[in-house]
Amino acid sequence: MHKEIVEFLNAQVPGCEATLVEAEVGDSTIFIQPSHIKAASLALRDSEKFQMNVLQVITGCDYEDRIEVSYILASFIFNTELILKVKLPKTDKDATVQIDSIVEVWTAADFQERECYDMIGVVFDGHPDFRRILCPEDWKGYPLRKDYVVEEVYNGMVVNPENKMNHEDHYFYKKIQEEQEDPKKVTFSWKD
Amino acid sequence: MIDLQAETPEKTEKIKSDLLTVNMGPQHPATHGVLRVEIKTDSEIVAEATPYLGYLHRCMEKHSENLDYRGVIPFVDRMDYLGSMSMEWGYALTIEKMLGTEVPRRAEYIRTIVGELQRVASHLMFFGTYAIDLGAFSPFLYAFQDREDILRIFEELSGARLLYNYIWIGGVWNDINDDQLRRIAKFCDTMEENLKKYHTLVGGNAIFIGRTANVGVISEEMAYRYGATGPVLRGSGIDWDLRKKRPYGLYEELDFDVIVGKGEKGQVGDCWDRYQVRVLEMFESIKIIRQCLDGIEEGPIIGKVPKIIKVPAGEIYMRTECPRGELGYHLISDGGKTPYRLKVKSSCFTHVSMLGEMAPGQMIADFVASIGSIDIVLGEVDR
Amino acid sequence: MNAKDLSTLAPLREEEPLTFGKWLKNIWTAARTVTKGMGITFKYVYGVKPVTIEYPEVREELPANSRSRLFNDVDNCISCMQCANACPVDCIYITAVRRDKDAPKIKTDGGTAIKLDLKQYTIDTALCCYCGLCTAACPTECITHTTDYEFSQYTVTEMKYDYLAPDIRAWKHRIVDK
Repeated sequence: MHKEIVEFLNAQVPGCEATLVEAEVGDSTIFIQPSHIKAASLALRDSEKFQMNVLQVITGCDYEDRIEVSYILASFIFNTELILKVKLPKTDKDATVQIDSIVEVWTAADFQERECYDMIGVVFDGHPDFRRILCPEDWKGYPLRKDYVVEEVYNGMVVNPENKMNHEDHYFYKKIQEEQEDPKKVTFSWKD
Repeated sequence: MIDLQAETPEKTEKIKSDLLTVNMGPQHPATHGVLRVEIKTDSEIVAEATPYLGYLHRCMEKHSENLDYRGVIPFVDRMDYLGSMSMEWGYALTIEKMLGTEVPRRAEYIRTIVGELQRVASHLMFFGTYAIDLGAFSPFLYAFQDREDILRIFEELSGARLLYNYIWIGGVWNDINDDQLRRIAKFCDTMEENLKKYHTLVGGNAIFIGRTANVGVISEEMAYRYGATGPVLRGSGIDWDLRKKRPYGLYEELDFDVIVGKGEKGQVGDCWDRYQVRVLEMFESIKIIRQCLDGIEEGPIIGKVPKIIKVPAGEIYMRTECPRGELGYHLISDGGKTPYRLKVKSSCFTHVSMLGEMAPGQMIADFVASIGSIDIVLGEVDR
Repeated sequence: MNAKDLSTLAPLREEEPLTFGKWLKNIWTAARTVTKGMGITFKYVYGVKPVTIEYPEVREELPANSRSRLFNDVDNCISCMQCANACPVDCIYITAVRRDKDAPKIKTDGGTAIKLDLKQYTIDTALCCYCGLCTAACPTECITHTTDYEFSQYTVTEMKYDYLAPDIRAWKHRIVDK
């Protein structure tokens, strides 16, 4: 089925450059160009052969040089599933990346795109109500990026207060290491 | 403006009023958790409703990137805390499919029995809380009394009443003995009688029908557009159940019906239909449990899983039918000991987005009935 | 903030005008529905035994494999760190020192040789999520779940249990030696 979808997309939506990534373990995925995501979604939804009428998830995954956004579509009429992915290159460490919104194709994209923005930092152009959904409105940073560090103070509240951190128990082994002649004999369970 | 100089009522103009913004705030007995809905109303009819989420957000997906695959199971429990067995089962199936482990037959039977008992417990909770949202106080405690029997069985099996950590990768943790199987069989008999009583008491009551029929109608086109699943989709007349369409576990060998809403008391897809789908599904779950109790086999309860689990690189999306809808796990692995990215697709998250379109034109009391009928648990919405 | 035109806001359900026949029908429906419902609930008034457990005079016994407060028998612990590795919330803190080669050889009850002296074994019970992964990972089964469910304290620091302290070691009589 994936090969047919690749041929269909390359024929219907010129310029989308759909490629198939076959996988031995797990699911195969189809990569397309980010600029043609809306045209490809409309083509898949309205085609007689595939009728992908449900959008299930929009997720993002943060890699070193790029962010990959996955659109998991399903057809509840033919009982099929498809994972469509786009690669968005990252220009700067904390910068956001941009792509068109597909809220007009499926309304399910509304909340899913807001969550993708909140967690990964992908800006969707053309979204009707674009703001954070799970984190508070004035939160800084995108939590699911790999290099995310939580801020120290938020609205006057200390995020990790000292008196709740159990530091004495974590570093008790240092005291034992000083007492012993051979510090390599001390084993401990705390990993920083 | 009222004309104070007027002598007769015909000369006074009508009072012009503006829309009032009311917070159906995070603390509210009828929102089933910490859900905030901002309602713009003229004091009875809702003009606009916007849900605000995130009050229970614990960022479980970021936590799971630092835990090994077995350690994620307690975290996955705590998302939908009223249906923990189904959440664990979905996660275990995702990892087993990537690893290619074979689950022994006895473990499959135990998983099915436990999963269907969890469905009965979750729908009983829906039944009790929906009735009390609409003002009926008796069914709440009846439902909880029956749910106690299920939780006692779960406590003996796994050790905890609500967050089980029981379904592990490859099988289940503890074995089930014949005495417990006999008690489950007895529970099935009492539950079936009680359910018939409860369905007449609540579902047949004219006040309940008056408050839920023709309220919160979700049409077929709207359900597909929003990606609704589970009882919400079946209540709109669509025959879609993952246990029949994409079977997992033992469901291919078992015999049960899919309950679809028919619009008996009003339109197809109203609150009464969704209520009826859930109550009749409990009868089907009892049928499934009886078939499993008859056919359970002897054998090991956990398959061969390596001591340190390393999932090969790749990605997978696995979905299972939970009491509240379809639960999906999208796992991206890079071959290490911890997941690289675990995304949980929760059905309640998509259902909450439908509130914005269901609300305009309803009265506030109808809006409360609509929120209750989609059966959300905020732990799953916010993760 | 835009005020929508209120004349377009109409309730979704149309109100039908009330006739005398309809009024009588409403009374009949109300009477029938109430008798049907009360017929079911009335049996619960005198026909069902109360299930309340009158705590604290009567205390409930939890099943034997309940996952409540943890207990570690430190005399049998071989300091393998498996429990701390398995814990998903990192609430177990262990420090151990390797014994000298010429120190007297000691063994656990099961026969395994103890090669490390335990210097710190603390569990922060307030962080613990009672999942049971540590008890499953322990090779000598020295860490177990007990059925104690009444252990609330007044301050959070009192919830950190030091299992090498003598008052907690004394629980061994109650829990292990049976």
